[in-house]
Amino acid sequence: MGKVFDPSLIIEFIPTLLKYLGVTIEILVASILFGTIIGIVAAIPRLFHIPVLKQLVTLYISFIRGTPIIIQLFLVYYGLPAALTLINIDISRMDALFFVIITYSLSNGAIFAEIFRGAITSVEFGQTEAAYTIGMTPYQNFTRIIFPQAIRVAFPNIANTVIGSLKDTSLAFTIGIMDMMGRGETLISATAHALEVYIALSIIYYIIVLILEKGFKVFEKYTNRYQGTDASVA
Amino acid sequence: MVIDFPFIWVAFKEIAKAIPLTLMLAIVPIVFGFFIGLAVALIREYKVKGLYSVANGYVSFFRGTPAIMHIMLIYYGVPLVLDGIVNSLNLSFQTNSIPIVLYVLLALSLTAGAYLSEIIRSGISSVAKGQMEAAYSIGMNTFQAMGRILFPQALVKSIPNFTNISIGFLHLTSIAFLVSQKELTGTANIVASSKLKFLEAFIAAGLIYWGLSIIFEGISYVIERKAKQYSKGGVA
Repeated sequence: MGKVFDPSLIIEFIPTLLKYLGVTIEILVASILFGTIIGIVAAIPRLFHIPVLKQLVTLYISFIRGTPIIIQLFLVYYGLPAALTLINIDISRMDALFFVIITYSLSNGAIFAEIFRGAITSVEFGQTEAAYTIGMTPYQNFTRIIFPQAIRVAFPNIANTVIGSLKDTSLAFTIGIMDMMGRGETLISATAHALEVYIALSIIYYIIVLILEKGFKVFEKYTNRYQGTDASVA
Repeated sequence: MVIDFPFIWVAFKEIAKAIPLTLMLAIVPIVFGFFIGLAVALIREYKVKGLYSVANGYVSFFRGTPAIMHIMLIYYGVPLVLDGIVNSLNLSFQTNSIPIVLYVLLALSLTAGAYLSEIIRSGISSVAKGQMEAAYSIGMNTFQAMGRILFPQALVKSIPNFTNISIGFLHLTSIAFLVSQKELTGTANIVASSKLKFLEAFIAAGLIYWGLSIIFEGISYVIERKAKQYSKGGVA
């Protein structure tokens, strides 16, 4: 607090903070990308009822959904180097950014797995049977029949997860990442104008979320293009 | 580095003492947030003049920014405003005598209000319009129709969403440690620093959060089953 509140500093801080937007976006994009891959892999055992793997995946999803992201971040940050020294790999000097991306990918992976599973089971089985009776292969059935219908159900949830994930990146600074929030913390130490920095950061996050929401809305309309106007779900 | 398993148990017992504070930080905001959310949802549903755009802006902003921002903005902003008021009225009140936990509760209540208003709104819109019309046609006034017909159904339909929000807020309390609150994460940090055993302490904290989340889910499951007893049959 210390110093007098100066609104003009908010405008002054925004360009400084925006220079670090790239790191935030990097974490977001990488974790969504890897999260999607993990999500697909993790959804399979529960969709096809593969024993053992199914229980493991359930445990993984339950753990991720049952603990705060900050705890997961600390566990990966302290736990992964410890676990890897057992097989003689030393990653204690690795950039903290990797730990952040690993944590957020694992976190998003669990959420995506649930979203994908829910979306695919929401398409009734009769559709698959119908596809087989007209001679489609399982691959054709998935790409032409199931996927286009499932993505319509999954997309609003995926959009929410992406936005939630963007907001979660603001916690990465706790293990020393220099993203927007990390830069904000150093600005506070340097200038002692904490409130102005947090207002500037809020404005930036808010604008990014608004842009993402707008973009997702357009895509959501696209996924719903075959729905009648009065039959829109969700 | 080898994991010190006995220390996990030591840390577990130490960190478990912070459960009451964590639950308080999670539950109080949800209770206050429920009333804020209800008011905001009704304002938006009835398009109350003047307040409508304020309510929209509130929900949009709080859903569009990370919760840590809300805590920080309130933590640094409210004392500033209060100081201004105190100085202009020449009161002998020290704003730094206000405990930090109150700022956290205020910030999280506002956050909860924004999220819960959306849940309540979707609950209300999930009840068919004909229900309200039917209530009016048998002579109920708006208050009765809402209290007896609309809300009981809307709330039951919102139970799964309420559970998600409750667990979300249980997890959200973990960021209160950034403003030096001794809740689960804060305590874990202290225990870890004292012995320099971070991994063990955070494993213990993770297990506690996990356990609490599972208990929350269990409670919600029981409540939902009780609440849905009247609607047996049909497809639900």
